[in-house]
Amino acid sequence: MNFRILTAGLCLSAGMSASAAYAECGEVSITEMDWASSAVVTSVANFLMTQGYGCEVAVVPTTTVPAMTSVAETGQPDILTELWTSYTEVYEELVAEGKLVELSKVLSDGGVEAWWIPRYLAEEHPELKTLEGIKANPGLVGGLFHDCPSGWGCDVTNFNNFKAAGLADAGVERFQHGSGETLATAIAAAYEAKEPWFGYYWAPTSVLGKYPMVQVEMPPYDEEIHTCNGLEDCATPGLSAYPTSNVVTAVTTTFSEREPEVAEMLSKLSFTNAQMGEVLAWQESNNASYEEAAVYFLTNYKDTWSGWLNDAAKDNLSALLK
Amino acid sequence: MAYYDGLFDSLGLRDWCDQNAQDAPTSMAALLGQLSGKGEDSADGPLPFPSLDALHESCAQIPQTRDMTAGVENTFLAARESLKMVLDPITQPLSWMLDGALWLFTATPWFVMVPLLVALTWFVARSVAVTLFVAGSFLFLGFIDHLDVALQTLSIIFVCTGLSVALGVPIGIAMSRSNALQRAVVPVLDLLQTLPTFVYLIPLIFLFSVTESKLYGIAIILYAIVPVIRLTDLGIRLVDRDVIEAADAFGMTKRQKLWGVQLPLALPNIMAGVNQTIMMSLAMVVIASLVSAPGLGVLVLRGIRNLELGVGIIAGVGIVLLAVILDRASKAALSRIDKNTKVQ
Repeated sequence: MNFRILTAGLCLSAGMSASAAYAECGEVSITEMDWASSAVVTSVANFLMTQGYGCEVAVVPTTTVPAMTSVAETGQPDILTELWTSYTEVYEELVAEGKLVELSKVLSDGGVEAWWIPRYLAEEHPELKTLEGIKANPGLVGGLFHDCPSGWGCDVTNFNNFKAAGLADAGVERFQHGSGETLATAIAAAYEAKEPWFGYYWAPTSVLGKYPMVQVEMPPYDEEIHTCNGLEDCATPGLSAYPTSNVVTAVTTTFSEREPEVAEMLSKLSFTNAQMGEVLAWQESNNASYEEAAVYFLTNYKDTWSGWLNDAAKDNLSALLK
Repeated sequence: MAYYDGLFDSLGLRDWCDQNAQDAPTSMAALLGQLSGKGEDSADGPLPFPSLDALHESCAQIPQTRDMTAGVENTFLAARESLKMVLDPITQPLSWMLDGALWLFTATPWFVMVPLLVALTWFVARSVAVTLFVAGSFLFLGFIDHLDVALQTLSIIFVCTGLSVALGVPIGIAMSRSNALQRAVVPVLDLLQTLPTFVYLIPLIFLFSVTESKLYGIAIILYAIVPVIRLTDLGIRLVDRDVIEAADAFGMTKRQKLWGVQLPLALPNIMAGVNQTIMMSLAMVVIASLVSAPGLGVLVLRGIRNLELGVGIIAGVGIVLLAVILDRASKAALSRIDKNTKVQ
């Protein structure tokens, strides 16, 4: 009986194998956001919960806002991971209402949002690393600022920063992409042709993992200016860098009461940007799936993830930790 | 130890297989195998399909499926320069037309543009009810501050359906005259109707600049051109054989037959195709906005992204309203043509 379950687990994917040996953990649902680092985080957490804690994990593909809405209305899914909290007011409300508990910063360095130029461009024209340099030579960046799509959180902030920087007067046009896909493809296409590119993006992402970019210098983050820049009718837009985004794992309150052991593990589960960048770059260069990227992490960073587990889970995974 | 090891061993290919063998990405199955202490041997499960990946496990020389997809990508990137040289210039007029129409529709003041469009409706439809409906719709859109975006969408639709008809009708005529051409074109039309738009749109960004309006123009035209081609072909093929014989008996040339007999008799079908083309280009409005088309589609996307349900629903209703306007106007024009042909 046990043998058959084991082979079934081998042949199917990780999420399918459940054994009677560890019965404390029940059914758990976890989000998988539609970008690379999140998929890796989810795969790693899925493996640890399934194999270490014996949970039955259901992965829910979603994005930030629908996942939050779902938690607010139905209390599901249990675990929300890689939440970029800076743009989601709902998040603060849900935490205040006691529906969500923040467990950890899943990317310990936080997310970096910035304006970038490709590295080859920065090497060729170092002056483009400053806004003054770009304003003096708009032609060198193609006269274009690639902005995020309408409806994204960064839309209004970039608009106001762009206005404050006086880039329009210098002859740089602000081009709003229709979707994140075209924004990413624009970077890839520019890199293929070694063409100028200047615009907004964020890290850690597989795009910035694969195509190294250099940040354009901005005045340091100023809370007052940044808050005003985030408003559509900001009267006095100023220049301010983005704050480092908190990127967190949060779980529903019911879940943290139901599965304290797993919640304990999730509160330790966290990646540095260097680790995540390395994993994503490996994934890109090997054309691997997110699951394989998770396997790469699990095989190469055993010291990191073994520290997240409790003793029982370490026993269950001892074969890997030897 | 994998399933097809025996196959390669018995063929004597083992040495060839194992040269340059390296540990490429390890799979989740391998990790689980390590965990259970049994290694990767899973030869007691059911036999897997002899796919590239399964064969690769036994023989490292067999490429994996991901090598094939990477190969497709690299082939495309290698051909990028030459594709760009050919496609960029021939599609450039499309950008000019889209930008020009957009400028015309947005720069003209509303008190000129709206009466002009209502007059145009009267001219093509000659129906009081339809004209009044169109006027009412524009006033409504203006009243709720959606006239500008609706006109942007309309300008895109006008250019794209105009080009679709200008290209589609000749293609349809050519198809109706040659069975071989018809056999060749029909699969292409099927492909255009079903291939997900982003599959060819994203590669196009490598060829043209993302800022070019032709990107969404191409997306809309490739999708919307299909019905007008199909129905032109069908319409001409459905013209009564007796009528063609009579035309032959009068000694009409091929050209005279086309312009004097076939096209007039096929006109109801062609117009039905035009009507469908308009509807399908409206259906593409939101997708076009994903590649930066202005107009109502942008508002729909914003509504979805921010869960501003009201914004999304109102913009969606705006698109429906435009569709109804264009449908009723083109249907009224169609029925007018129908009547005329019957009288003749």
